[in-house]
Amino acid sequence: MSWRGELNKYLASAYKNWIISKRNAFTLFELFFWPMISLFSIGLLTKFLQVSQEMSSYLIIGAISLTLLQVAQIDVAYVLLFDMWSKSIKNTFIAPVQSYHLVFGALIFGIVRGAIVFAILVVVSRYLFGFNFLAGGAMPVLIFLAGVFATAAFIGMTVCISILTFGQKADVAAWSLSGLILLVCGIYYPVEILPEPMQAVARVVPLTYFLEYYRSIFIPGSHNVMMGAGLALLYLALGLILLDGSIERARKTGILLRLSE
Amino acid sequence: MSENSVEAQGICKSYKSFLGRGSQVLKDISLEVGSGEIFGLLGPNGSGKTTLISIFSTLIFPDRGSMRILGLEAKRNRSKIRSQINFSTAKPNFPWSLTVSESLKHYGMLYGMHGSQLSSAIEENIAAFELEEQKNMKFEDLSTGMKQRLSLAKAMLNRPRLLFLDEPTAGLDPEMAIKTRKLIRRVHQEQDISIVLCTHDMAEAELLCSKVAFLRRGEVVALDTPQNLKNQLRLGERLVIFYQGRVDLKAVEQVPGVLAQRDLPGRAEIVLDRTSDNLDMILKLFAETKIQDIRISEPDLEDVFLELAR
Repeated sequence: MSWRGELNKYLASAYKNWIISKRNAFTLFELFFWPMISLFSIGLLTKFLQVSQEMSSYLIIGAISLTLLQVAQIDVAYVLLFDMWSKSIKNTFIAPVQSYHLVFGALIFGIVRGAIVFAILVVVSRYLFGFNFLAGGAMPVLIFLAGVFATAAFIGMTVCISILTFGQKADVAAWSLSGLILLVCGIYYPVEILPEPMQAVARVVPLTYFLEYYRSIFIPGSHNVMMGAGLALLYLALGLILLDGSIERARKTGILLRLSE
Repeated sequence: MSENSVEAQGICKSYKSFLGRGSQVLKDISLEVGSGEIFGLLGPNGSGKTTLISIFSTLIFPDRGSMRILGLEAKRNRSKIRSQINFSTAKPNFPWSLTVSESLKHYGMLYGMHGSQLSSAIEENIAAFELEEQKNMKFEDLSTGMKQRLSLAKAMLNRPRLLFLDEPTAGLDPEMAIKTRKLIRRVHQEQDISIVLCTHDMAEAELLCSKVAFLRRGEVVALDTPQNLKNQLRLGERLVIFYQGRVDLKAVEQVPGVLAQRDLPGRAEIVLDRTSDNLDMILKLFAETKIQDIRISEPDLEDVFLELAR
């Protein structure tokens, strides 16, 4: 197959997600409403508590990270969710595509949507709350965004794996897993204040390291972004292997047929 | 190409519940589908037709057994096989908010099609399946017949060598069902592809299929051409006599070659082994009545189905 054919297998999922999103008015909620609610509530909280500029940066970085994570992970999960909700999953899995075509195709669209949300939040946080997200230059921002999107890809894959393993009811994972991330990986507080077992969990989530890295630009502190990058790559590979395994299992158990009925 | 399109040996499949309890839906299925053939999979609901067609199309995997699809060993060549086959499902579903042409574009892309090859395949299939007026309509706004035609158009996008059709006329009104059968026939003739057709419409199978397999409770109970099946089962011919008056139908049963009889208001239905030999003997028994009409019909696949489903 030509490289254009191969490329189209990736772009197929991005194309589907794009068409469905543009026809769905609630997409505006995902792109503007919830991100704004999140940023405004945290920004206003920092004003009310009269926290220092450093602490304000800490919380706003957390709010923006969580929003980007939620937007990008749901796009990866949508690759299966849209098929499952419309009971058309058979048509996707009868085609000669691999799990990586589906995941990375959807992630491309997730990155585009995430980048739009990021641009909006950067502008709003600059003018309303005086926080310049780009103060450290372009490279740290790109590294930080790469970490957020890689974590989002893994969470999205975990949602897909849950659906293929447990069936339709597992779609709740699409909205709950990012809540778990919020709890453990230091979105609004340092992981050191967590109980020991939860700290151990935080240390195996790549986003923890990328948050520490990006915050170190504004608030001096230690970080190990290489560890985060290593974990992110490991989880991407692991996610694809597990997703392949769950597709194989769904073909063996016949759950793929049940998801289409 | 002379190889068989499907060669299946000892296919078994069971579905297990969460607690591990299994129900076996396919038991030791072995069959072959010749190249260029329209092969019918017939059987009552729950006989395992959809499971078998899903296994042949590599959508799901069997528990046991081996398969060659288009000459390729199925376990080792799934991706190669998938690029050369396609599937149109019963009660077709596509993402709701995609239009007809967007759906075809999306699935064409999944098959690795691109550029002018993709756009001309979309246009050709929209025209072939008479969807020009609906090409900008969203899937959720299409009628059942249009959805079925879209499903067939999607199934033909990648020019498959082997096509699986699961109840392609289910839920269609008679006019649309006839049109769909004509489309299937035309596609088969023009593109010289093999088709495996799942149906419980016996007339459809008789019209389209050169060979059929009857499934009952997960087993193949008969496999042959429709004509041979009718001959093998010795179903006899159906004689219907419309009459006025009284006749002793018990005496009809005594006539050699009469397999069954049914007394209905104003008519008698008699199933005969060899009508021509005994017709005169039967008619003599109706001598005291006023015969209004006599009809003789060949058995059809419906009769085969009823016989095998017993």
